[in-house]
Amino acid sequence: MARVAITELSKLYDGGGEPAVKDLSLTVGNGEFMVLLGPSGCGKSSVLRMIAGLEPITSGKIAIDGEIVNEIPAKDRDIAMVFQSYALYPHMDVFNNLAFGLRRRGIAKTEIERRVQGAASKLGLLPFLKRKPHALSGGQRQRVALGRAIVREPKVFLFDEPLSNLDAALRVSMRNELIRQQREMGITAIYVTHDQVEAMTMGHRICIMNKGEVIQIGKPLEVYRNPANTFVARFLGNPPMNLIPTSVEPDGGAYQLRVGGMSLPTDCWPAETLSRLGGKALLGIRPEDLYETAQRPDERRRIAIARAHVIAVEPLGAETLIILSLEGAAEEVTMRSGRETRLRPGDNATIELDLAAAHLFDPKTAQVIPPVHEEREARWAKAE
Amino acid sequence: MKPPSAVEPSAAKGIAYLRGAPLMAFALIYTIVSGGPFLWVAMMSLRTTPEIFASPYALPSSIHWEKFVDAWTKSNYGTYFWNSTIVVVTAVALLTVIGAMVAHCLARYRFRGNRLVRFVILSGMILPPQLMILSLFQILLEYHLYNTLTGLIIVYVAGHLAITVYILEGFFAQIPQDLFDAARLDGYSDLEIFWRITLPIGVPALFTTVTLNFIILWNEFLYAVVLLTEDDKRTLPLGIMHFMGNHQLDVGMVATGLMIAIGPVILLYAFFSETMIRGMTAGAVR
Ligand SMILES: Nc1ncnc2c1ncn2[C@@H]1O[C@H](COP(=O)(O)OP(=O)(O)O)[C@@H](O)[C@H]1O
Ligand SMILES: [Mg+2]
Repeated sequence: MARVAITELSKLYDGGGEPAVKDLSLTVGNGEFMVLLGPSGCGKSSVLRMIAGLEPITSGKIAIDGEIVNEIPAKDRDIAMVFQSYALYPHMDVFNNLAFGLRRRGIAKTEIERRVQGAASKLGLLPFLKRKPHALSGGQRQRVALGRAIVREPKVFLFDEPLSNLDAALRVSMRNELIRQQREMGITAIYVTHDQVEAMTMGHRICIMNKGEVIQIGKPLEVYRNPANTFVARFLGNPPMNLIPTSVEPDGGAYQLRVGGMSLPTDCWPAETLSRLGGKALLGIRPEDLYETAQRPDERRRIAIARAHVIAVEPLGAETLIILSLEGAAEEVTMRSGRETRLRPGDNATIELDLAAAHLFDPKTAQVIPPVHEEREARWAKAE
Repeated sequence: MKPPSAVEPSAAKGIAYLRGAPLMAFALIYTIVSGGPFLWVAMMSLRTTPEIFASPYALPSSIHWEKFVDAWTKSNYGTYFWNSTIVVVTAVALLTVIGAMVAHCLARYRFRGNRLVRFVILSGMILPPQLMILSLFQILLEYHLYNTLTGLIIVYVAGHLAITVYILEGFFAQIPQDLFDAARLDGYSDLEIFWRITLPIGVPALFTTVTLNFIILWNEFLYAVVLLTEDDKRTLPLGIMHFMGNHQLDVGMVATGLMIAIGPVILLYAFFSETMIRGMTAGAVR
């Protein structure tokens, strides 16, 4: 168990113009499961490889339990990593794959035997101990890779997209397996993925990265509900948050948002901030915060009514996605509706926007405009 | 594509045979061309020279095994065989270890001057041996290695390092980097990783270079004839010269000597040919 503290970490590859990682700071607590989430190429693997000691650090510090490990070689860091490719040793059977890391550490033979048997039985690998990796299925290989990390009982687990080579069903079951093992052992874990479902379901906290930088760190639902900028807003959530360009217009002492022919009140946001926007803002609203008139469950929400035209209807089984164009606005928005929806393409519909769940972004900086708080806090408190 | 439904299954089989026919014919001709002379020498090795002169292509009428004993005892064949064994086994062992290490480094590490080192080593492949033989002769004389087996071993290792590295590096480069990273995280040093990951995974490629080097060096004549002049230092290919006297050629004994020389190569090939072909054609890890 260990605490991993990363301070202003940067990585510049030879011959690469832009740094792959820029001034990244992050602390992962003892026993915490931290997910690094971001689009492919944003530097997640680079961070992980620097923590592991597989890649030299350009600048910044990495400390494990307070000890700076920048100069400690990978073999002495006591870190276990699960690779996307599994990286099983092809010339060794499953038993030896699991035991390889223990042998080097001078652990007694009986203890190695005990640990390997233990991990193998936890992961359902006992029947395959004498098999070579090429004679295993994808799911079994994945288990061996996980087992190889588990037997080591390291200070830190690192996972680099370990589930992305599995098919959908296996991925779900391995996801749960992995969470269970990590929670049981209480070993600090850093998990890299570009899959937001994995991030939302697995992590104690998520660190969202883009272009080598940390964009936002927080608990999964916190980040989902309070995205720091438009990148997070669109990256988390499927379908992503609607971002509707609006104009901010003075209305007496206050301001109004105009979307096409519709005016929305702005009392969720401080007028002073709105005044600095230069007349333009992006209204962010998640598909599940749009309602068909009859389906809104809760009376207390701050509702705005909009007229819209149905462009497409996508039934997904459990729910139906409705693609709409708001009256007088060019942008398409997506609404998440029940499976029993009556809307058909070409219909005109009246929809309701839950303004209490909406976000406002500054189009120039893409950053969120912090709302007036009481409203929001009360709402989340209730939801939790 | 539509399956050729009009063709009956048996007819389809016939067509398949026909398609294979040119290939079969080629394989047959190739076998005759390459195996024929070998069989001929094998038969001559069991016949006496007068018999051979009487009828060069005949099958052995009575089998003269004693010719092998003669070849071994009446000349210095035991010494030649032993010399060849020492030189070739040592050279191949050194080539395998040094070549694998070089290939591992070139395939795994990006170091300063890496491309230059590779170029220098691999350019050794294109230099014809005739070009170097005089300078080698001089150098070996100077270092008192002329007429020694050690000298020949060094020459062999140097001469074959390029091709060995070339074959091994191609194979090692295909081993995924993740395996090496995993082994490092498992606590192994670079040298241990070489012994425990690269070498065992590279076995098919190693078989290829071992077999290749063994066969070529076992038959090597040019360097041996220039660099070894004392009779008790000679290797097998030179030993055969013994039967080619100054005035007349003892064809029967030459054939017997050749068979003794070829023996180890045939054995090696019989055991390792399959592994070797796999090493040359297959990828490293699937
Ligand atoms: N060994 C390397 N040499 C040069 N550039 C690299 C290397 N590894 C990664 N990069 C670059 O660094 C950036 C981040 O890569 P990576 O950390 O693998 O991202 P991710 O894991 O998020 O997909 C990419 O632009 C990639 O091209
Ligand atoms: Mg990656």
